[in-house]
Amino acid sequence: MKLGRFAYHAPATLDEATEILEEKGSDAAVLAGGQSLVPVLAMRIAQPEHVVDINRVHGLDAIERTNGTVSIGALVRQQQALVSAELRAACPLVCEALPHVGLRETRSRGTVVGSLTHADPAAELPAVAVALDGELELRHGGETRVVSAEEFFVAPFMTAKAPGELAVALRLPVSSPGAGWSFLELERGPFALVAVAAGIELDDGGRIADARLVFAGVGPGPVRAREAEGLLLGAEPGEAVIAEAAEIAVRGLEPVSDVLASASYRRHVARELAKDALAQAARSGSPE
Amino acid sequence: MIAETPSGLGTSAPRREDVRLLTGRGRFVDDVHLPNMLHAAFLRSPLASARIARLDVSAAQRLDGVRAVYTAADLEGLVKPIHFDAGIEGHKVPPYTALTGDKARYVGDPIAVVVADDRALAEDALAAIEVEWEELPAVLTVEQATAQNAPLVFDELGDNVIYHALHEYGDLDGAFARADRVISVPVRQARVTSSAMETRGIVVDFDPVDGEITCYASSKAPHMLRGRIAEHLGHDLHRVRVIIRDVGGAFGGKGAVWREDLVIAAASKLLGRPVKWIEDRSENLTAFGGARDQGFQVEAAVLEDGTILALRVSMWMNHGAYPGMWLTPMFAALVRATILSQLRIDTFSFETLIVATNKNTYISYRGPGSVETLVRERVLDTIAAELGLDPVEVRRRNLLTVEEQPWQMPMGVTVHRAHARETLESAVELADYAALREEQARARAEGRLVGIGVATSIQPCPGFPDWWEAIGYKTEAAPARLRLEPDGRVTLVTSEMPTGQGHETTLAQVAADQLGVPFEHVRVVLGDTNTTPFYYFGTGASRSSNMGAGAVIAAAHELKRRLVELAWPQRSLEEIARSVYGRGDARELEAVDVLAYYEPHATEGGWAASTHLCVVEVDPRFGTVAIRRYLVAEDCGTMINPAIVEGQILGGIAQGIGVTLLEQAGYDEEGQYLAGSYLTYVLPKADDMPEIEIHHLELPTDEAFSARGIGESGMVMAPAALANAIEDALRPLGVRVTELPLTPTRLLELMGVLPEDSLTVL
Amino acid sequence: MSERRHVRVGVNGVPRDGLVEPRRTLADFLRHDVGLTGTHVACEHGVCGACTVLVDGEPVRSCLMLAVQSDGAEVTTIEGVAPEGGLHPLQQAFRDCHAFQCGFCTPGFVISGIAFLNEHPSPTHEEARHAASSNLCRCSGYAGIVEALELAAARMKDGA
Repeated sequence: MKLGRFAYHAPATLDEATEILEEKGSDAAVLAGGQSLVPVLAMRIAQPEHVVDINRVHGLDAIERTNGTVSIGALVRQQQALVSAELRAACPLVCEALPHVGLRETRSRGTVVGSLTHADPAAELPAVAVALDGELELRHGGETRVVSAEEFFVAPFMTAKAPGELAVALRLPVSSPGAGWSFLELERGPFALVAVAAGIELDDGGRIADARLVFAGVGPGPVRAREAEGLLLGAEPGEAVIAEAAEIAVRGLEPVSDVLASASYRRHVARELAKDALAQAARSGSPE
Repeated sequence: MIAETPSGLGTSAPRREDVRLLTGRGRFVDDVHLPNMLHAAFLRSPLASARIARLDVSAAQRLDGVRAVYTAADLEGLVKPIHFDAGIEGHKVPPYTALTGDKARYVGDPIAVVVADDRALAEDALAAIEVEWEELPAVLTVEQATAQNAPLVFDELGDNVIYHALHEYGDLDGAFARADRVISVPVRQARVTSSAMETRGIVVDFDPVDGEITCYASSKAPHMLRGRIAEHLGHDLHRVRVIIRDVGGAFGGKGAVWREDLVIAAASKLLGRPVKWIEDRSENLTAFGGARDQGFQVEAAVLEDGTILALRVSMWMNHGAYPGMWLTPMFAALVRATILSQLRIDTFSFETLIVATNKNTYISYRGPGSVETLVRERVLDTIAAELGLDPVEVRRRNLLTVEEQPWQMPMGVTVHRAHARETLESAVELADYAALREEQARARAEGRLVGIGVATSIQPCPGFPDWWEAIGYKTEAAPARLRLEPDGRVTLVTSEMPTGQGHETTLAQVAADQLGVPFEHVRVVLGDTNTTPFYYFGTGASRSSNMGAGAVIAAAHELKRRLVELAWPQRSLEEIARSVYGRGDARELEAVDVLAYYEPHATEGGWAASTHLCVVEVDPRFGTVAIRRYLVAEDCGTMINPAIVEGQILGGIAQGIGVTLLEQAGYDEEGQYLAGSYLTYVLPKADDMPEIEIHHLELPTDEAFSARGIGESGMVMAPAALANAIEDALRPLGVRVTELPLTPTRLLELMGVLPEDSLTVL
Repeated sequence: MSERRHVRVGVNGVPRDGLVEPRRTLADFLRHDVGLTGTHVACEHGVCGACTVLVDGEPVRSCLMLAVQSDGAEVTTIEGVAPEGGLHPLQQAFRDCHAFQCGFCTPGFVISGIAFLNEHPSPTHEEARHAASSNLCRCSGYAGIVEALELAAARMKDGA
């Protein structure tokens, strides 16, 4: 399983990188962590003519908090994010999910943004980005645009990123300090089969003021259960309403059936994990 | 700093192999670098069944760095067609060529080979080979392959039945007429693959000047490899040498010679340069081969008290397309000759149906007959369930005692010194079985799905010669050579070929014990056919502790006898060596250089026995199985090295957990292979393993040396114990377990929690 | 284009120069260009861990990194974890616990294990089991590996 040939570029600046990408368009793949791209190249599933290695570009490896936003640069490694006290304080859900992402050995190199642009429907970080109303900052030549996480994931392994565009950062709103978060996953083999990201914030009356519920592994991309979230708003987080919300959340889901699990199994697990995650999120928050 | 640890026979001596392997100084086949060496990659069929309408390699041949591209036509006349025919009555063996020339018969079927300056270039060139396929309908299951007008895997055979036989022993009608009940038990086990961490690989170095071939390979049978290369390439046997140092796991499959080996040998001969082929993981999972893939229907004639009067067994095996070197009727015979185990049954019929399909080759995989234990233990538990008896009681009722042995199975296989019953009683006592049942009752009252499973079996390790005869293989003698060296220490040359079993250590322990010398004074040499005595079979079948060690003992006896003639032990070994070597006369050196053999005895070294007992809990929400307790009670006679024995058992149990809960080498309905990477072929990890307690009985026998093998036992036993435990856990729901793997999806379907809408995996 | 590039990689403290195709993985560079064959290749898609090395002190699947990406980095392979003639405490623990059989997965487990113990010097049993779950072994059943991690941790704390 040796990689096919490609022309290799290792730009030193962001401008250089975006210039090459703009020129090569869909003939180029971006190499950041490589934990998703290299296996694809080794199996020759994709054979891009050009590989643009952005690891030498300065200024993309910072986690920065400014006002109410946290920015995670394209070269922030998953392990770096996992141990970031600042990120844990600002967006705890990300740090809840990261221990589930790949393996310690892949998190050394794998990037947060890279997991988003790879858009594996069973990946954890896309679900987290959607749950937190994140945004992707994309550069094309000299132009920047921002796409919401929800709009970013289009189909399995396909995103709204245009040919020649480079994702330079994930931006997340700083989470409310009183919110509780939970990330649960069922694995089969090395990776997740189904995962759930949940967030619950209670008002001082103990009622749900904000609810987030997003699945991975049950659709073409992360699936946000807005109807279930709506049902939870204003309710006290009891077993019955959580069960009802979980039931609604998986209704209409059409996961795949494959050698690892049936569609029914995935849907069933999604529902069960949603119940557990919502209950856990409700317990772990601290109302203001 | 290596601490002083005891290293005598029976101690867990630290292994000789370890420092080399721990520090990255092992030499596996891909570590072999020869000057001028080229690298090969195979073009493999992407379709399950397709005629090769056009094959044009010219574009590939023209690429920079490509030295040659060969197809079947190029190898005609150079590599003899493969025809593994052992003359078994009724067995159809289609001949085929090392590279397929007519039609591809499974996804992964090799049709061309590129030889280039490096592997990446070779893979690039594969893409430049032009192939036009005429897709044909494929058959994947025994049902499909035996249906009216089924497409033929091999046109010349007339149908897809490779072998069909019925063996009957005793008065079956009479036994069934006397029975209080006839209990029906279906069992199916899905196809799996061995997936050793090191894939296959070979380097063949043909020297065009002196005509000698030297091979390096990931193989556990160097003499077999040498012989097959010589035979198939029409090359003088004495001009072929195989050198093997380290092998990264074999588990059966690497004890055969493969088409790719022959192609690489031919390529080296044609090019006059060394050629290396290292199988990648995708090839290994897809094209190496599959095992198990068997289905059973058993009818048990029983009395109300659980006594089994007779068994009617019908088995099908999915042979895949091409016959491998080890013939499938032999695997069937393994099942037939072992399924009765140590049960008091003399009336028995066994129907075998082996069918060709468009799947990969059937390979030997650790305990290739092990489905016999799964089936028998499922039958025993089903009998217990139907009659309302405890499964341990049903075993007690049917297991032979020591007093009843030697016992002859109806097919003429002797059971002697087999302590299955003793391992059962030991396990039951150590686990406090009665207390486990009480705990289970309490758990059930809480609605928890807790199950207890037991499996008991005897395994031929190596089995007496009549067992080997029953499976159609004539046991050979095992050789060993012991030589006193100039420094007064000893060299042991063994023909065992370890692939993780630690023979460099265990056989040194045996030799040291026999000669009364320190363990460190025994140097072990193996793996080079120029040095090791001829031994076709290589290592396998859990024979080395008995036969390989037995050969060492035979050599030691003879060496001691000769040393006594040289006034040992009054004179020390150093003194004797100094005088013998000092004179420099080859005839004198001969006196201290012994080649000896262990002849398989009719009555020694037969059977190892074990019982595995486990407690599981099935999660009713996620269908996952937690193994709460796992206990082994085993008797493999005298243990040479307990840590190594336990390592073998633990590794086998891990693989058993894999085939029971995780692994499936599956195909879709078009014959596309579904498990070609570790994302879809799920291997057990550390957190899939329970804590395992192992108790060694080491029951004494009347033999001089009673060590028996144990290598396959974990893999043989775990699926049976786990399947029984899982059914027991689901008994309140009325679920019957009839198939493996028991994936979470499947368990929730069986429990009625989910509709049965899984993907069809064949 | 895909012409070869010069790399200089510190390997076990020694600078190694190479002229590599960009598509050459770090694993193949180490094994075949540098000639250190202790790092093994067993799956080439990052799952099994046999290829694990340390890159600037962090555990990395060398089959998922291009050699050109390691230019300027410090790589530690199995050949470099212990002083000449000695064994790292984890290697010694692997030996004492009979933690491996064929040895093919072992270098990767040792490197992953060393990285783990660097970050978790006092692991619980569960943490050790979880750490051992990031690599695949087909021979051992893993019990000895977990035991070795715990034994090495204990010994390293005692200053062995």
